[in-house]
Amino acid sequence: MLTDLEKKVISVIQGDIPVIRRPYRDIGEMIGEEEQIVLSVLRSLAEKGLIRRYGATLRHQKSGFTANVMVAWQVDEDRIHEVGREMAEHEAISHCYRRNPDEKWPYNLYTMIHAHDRDSCHDIAEALVQKEGVQHYTMLFSEKELKKTSMVYFEDEFE
Amino acid sequence: MSSIDDTDRRILNRIQSDFPITESPFAAIGDELGLSENEVIARVRRLRKNGIIRRIGGNFSPEKLGYVSTLCAGRVPPEKLEHFAEVVNSYPGVTHNYLRANTFNVWFTFIAPSRESITESLAEISEKTGISDILNLPATDVYKIRAHFNL
Repeated sequence: MLTDLEKKVISVIQGDIPVIRRPYRDIGEMIGEEEQIVLSVLRSLAEKGLIRRYGATLRHQKSGFTANVMVAWQVDEDRIHEVGREMAEHEAISHCYRRNPDEKWPYNLYTMIHAHDRDSCHDIAEALVQKEGVQHYTMLFSEKELKKTSMVYFEDEFE
Repeated sequence: MSSIDDTDRRILNRIQSDFPITESPFAAIGDELGLSENEVIARVRRLRKNGIIRRIGGNFSPEKLGYVSTLCAGRVPPEKLEHFAEVVNSYPGVTHNYLRANTFNVWFTFIAPSRESITESLAEISEKTGISDILNLPATDVYKIRAHFNL
C-alpha cells in the first residue's frame, strides 16, 4: 500500500519537524533523500488524503480551552446518523463517533466537548439534550491525564 | 499561562493545519501574514518552548496507514489503579489514557496493526492486572474529527 519511501517520510513527520528555514532539507538528510524528494512525497501523501492534518498540535490548557469532557450518549439506532451529524456541526465538539454498545455499557454515540470551563461544558451538553431529545447520557470528565503521546507508525521497519 | 499576543494568535491559527510543503515554509507563512521569516521562526520557537505548541508534524488516521484503532475503558478499583495504568501505558499503541469520573474509570485509545492484536493485548492486560472488565469500543462511524482551535 505505502512505498518504503513514503513510510520513511511518515516516520519522520509523525514526530516534530525542526523549526528552521529549510526543515525539509534537514528531514532529507535524516533519511538520505534530497529535499525535493521529501517535498514531492509529502505533497503526494497530502493529495492522497493520507495525512489527516499537517501542522501544529497545541496544548489546550495553555491556549485557553481549559475544560473538556467526553460525553457518551444513548441514542435510538434509527436516529443515530442524524443525531451524530447534527452534533458534529457544533463548534465546541471536536470529535463525534458512533461505537457499538456493550452489555455493560449502553452508550453508542461519543462526543468530545471543549470549552473554557466545566460549567460551559455542562451548558453545551444541556443544549444538545434539548436540541436532540436524547435523555440518557453520561459526562466523563477527565480527572487525570495518565498518558498522552503520538502514535509511532512503522517503528520496526527502519532501525 | 504564558501570554500570547495577537500576532502569536494569527500564527497559531494559520499553522494548525495545511502547514506549507515548500522549501521555506516559515517564509511562506510570513508572506501570508505580513511578517518576516525570521520573526515567524522566532515566535514559533518561543511558542514551542513555552509549551503552547506541543509539536509540529503530521497527524494520521490509523486506518489509512493500514492500522486499526479503538477506545477502551477499564473498571478499576482505586487500589489497582496505579498498576493498571502502568501496564496499559507500557503498550506503544496506547496513545491517550485518562482517569475519568465513572465506574469505568480508565479510558484509553489503542492503535495496532489488527483487531486481533488489540484483542490479544487486552486479554494480556487482564491477565497481568486481574482486571477483567475492559470495554473495547471501536468506532463504527466517524461524524467528526477536528483538532483545529480558533484562538
